[in-house]
Order: sequence, then C-alpha cells, then structure tokens
Amino acid sequence: MTGAYVPRSRRSTSRKLTWDKKHTRELFRHYQATGDQAARDELITMYLNLVKYLAHRFRNRGEPIDDLIQVGTIGLIKAIDRFDMGREVEFTTYATPTIVGELKRHFRDKGWALKVPRRLQELSFRVNQAVDALTQRNQRSPKIPEIAVYLDVTTEEVIEAMETSEVYNLVSLDSDRNSDGSDSFSILEYIGEDDKLMGIVDDRTTLSAALKQLTPQEQRVLYLRFFEGRTQTEIARQLDISQMQVSRLLRKTLRVLRENIVREEV
Amino acid sequence: MAVERIELTVPGRAEYARAVRIIAATLASRSGMSIDEVDDVRMALEEAFLLACARIGADGPVTFRFDVDDDRIDVCVGPLPASGDGDRDEEAGQRYSRFILEAVCDTFQLDTDGPTCFVRLTKLAGAVS
Repeated sequence: MTGAYVPRSRRSTSRKLTWDKKHTRELFRHYQATGDQAARDELITMYLNLVKYLAHRFRNRGEPIDDLIQVGTIGLIKAIDRFDMGREVEFTTYATPTIVGELKRHFRDKGWALKVPRRLQELSFRVNQAVDALTQRNQRSPKIPEIAVYLDVTTEEVIEAMETSEVYNLVSLDSDRNSDGSDSFSILEYIGEDDKLMGIVDDRTTLSAALKQLTPQEQRVLYLRFFEGRTQTEIARQLDISQMQVSRLLRKTLRVLRENIVREEV
Repeated sequence: MAVERIELTVPGRAEYARAVRIIAATLASRSGMSIDEVDDVRMALEEAFLLACARIGADGPVTFRFDVDDDRIDVCVGPLPASGDGDRDEEAGQRYSRFILEAVCDTFQLDTDGPTCFVRLTKLAGAVS
C-alpha cells in the first residue's frame, strides 16, 4: 500500500521529522513500489544522523569528518536500496553494518594504498592465509621457515610481511565488528585490586579511563593474552579471526594503553 | 648449533624500533620458534627498547646482546642508568614495560649493578603450542 505516503513538501514545514516507525515503513513501501526519488531523498535525510554518528567513530584516523560522512552516506544509500521489508528487522539494524562496512573499505583501500606496496600487501595476505592453513594442518602454530617453504619465499620475506602488517595499523576497524553492542566485554570486571595491571597505575580510575579507549574486542584480546596467558593462535581460534589479526590487535591495544596510561599518570 | 652471540647497538630513538624488531624476529626464527613465539619476541624487544630509551635518553646508544640457541634466545639490554630522572611519565612507562615483559617472556629481570643496570630476558621455543 502506498497511499498513506505524503511527500515532505506537502506537510507542515514546522513539523519535525521523527524516527516514526510507521512513517518509515510508508516511505519504504512507497519508494520500493514507485522508485520515487523524493521518498529516497527523505529516507536519506532521516537517517543522516546515523551516518554522522558512525562516521564520528572513525574520526582521528587522518580523514576529514566530512569525507567520512560522505563515504558513510554511500553505505546508507546502498542500505536503503537493498532493504527488504519482509525480513522484519529495523532499518537501523540492517543499515549499520552496511555503513560501517563502507567506512572500513574506505580506510582499507586508502590505508594500503598510501603506505604499503602492492607486492607486500599481497605477501602479507598470503602469509596470513598460510599461517591459518598450516595451523589447521599441523594443529600448532607454524614456524617461519615452514611458512616460507609453503609460500616458496624466503624467511626474510615472511618477516618483512609481518612488519608490513604492523604498518597497516587500522586494526581497530576490524574490531568494530560488534558495533551493534552485542559484545559488551569489559576487562575491568576481571581485574582485581591486587592485579599486576593495577600496579602500573595509581588508581582504578586511571586504568578505567585508559581501557575506555579500547573496544570490547580489543579488551577481550588483551585479557586472553595477558591475564589468561593464551597464545595468539588460541585467541585466534576462540574469536574466529586470524593469528595475524590477533597480533595486530595486540600491538594496537598495547600502544593505545601505553599512551593513555602514561599520559594519565603525568 | 652452538650458541651464537650477536650484538646490536642503535641510537635510543623510536625510529630504530623497527630495526630492533626485524633483527629480533630473524634471530627468534633461528631458535626454532613458532610465529606466535616470534611475535612475542618482537613485542618484548620493542618494550625493552622503549624501557631502555626512557632510561638512557634520546641520543644514548642502546646495546642488545642476543645469545641464540636451538631452542631459546637470551637477550641482555644495556648497560643502562640504574634509575631514571624520577619523572612520573618515565615511571609509569617503565612499570608498563615490565608488565608486558613479564607476560610475554619466560624470564625477565632488571639487574642493577651500582650506577648501571641491565634488562635480561629469555624466551624458550616450544613452550607454547
């Protein structure tokens, strides 16, 4: 049914747009039935705040916020065009991963393009895959020469690829996969007053402020490695990510924690 | 193989951390370590380097002595000043480095000998799966 839709231009200009579910459904029905660009534009306007909110989560990574909003808006438009009302999920639930995915892709493409030659990008991916394959095959973490033989490259090239993944420091983007809030892990809940990490700082408030800079997944990786003593391979298995992703997450997590703990202590 | 000793001296500046990591990874690999363990060694050596930089100052050279065996690597970093200048920034950073080093190494010690000290750490191959 599309009859209930009233174009924005014909409604009172003083009336504010609200996140009214009924109105949203009417708009989607109308747009999908008629392809009316005005309805599509109104949907874009309605959900622009969601794009802005998500884009701000990627700020301070060297990209102007206006550019990020623009990239996020492309994700929003894709979500509007593909939204299936029959699936009975809220549009925001459907659109969020699409918008975040678009933002991540932007950083991924730009990050690699700016910093790492294509040969090394490819080698890094191949090493990543080789580590997974050899771990699966041998049921243990592989050695560097084993990876080199598997890929028919030198051990030095494998080590260079490990360093390359350091350069690609956008790992926190990978950790945003739980952006819907389903992962609420907080390491503070597991840290006692006599814990070694507490020995670094003067009080729990300092530590809490530093940990807030980390996503739940980063905190989970930190906890598993430094409090439960799990290996990177074990963590990778548990979180269903690659060993090299765990490595990058750890490196980024430790760097953020160091910067924040030291800064807070001064 | 017989234990091989390798020495590396670099300026105490952050831009040399990459060189330290690459050397450490290469030597750890020669000790028969898995990629997990090699990554631990890289992480440990970077922390040890930052700890050394905090004590020795920007221009002071930092010397690493690696003893590489078939199944282990022992590293000695120093000599370093026995204590820093008491700056709280440095203290927090060094406490943090110790936390990391104790977690990723099989042994970690900060040995003081009069006005100087040495960071000593050991990583064993095959200690983790």
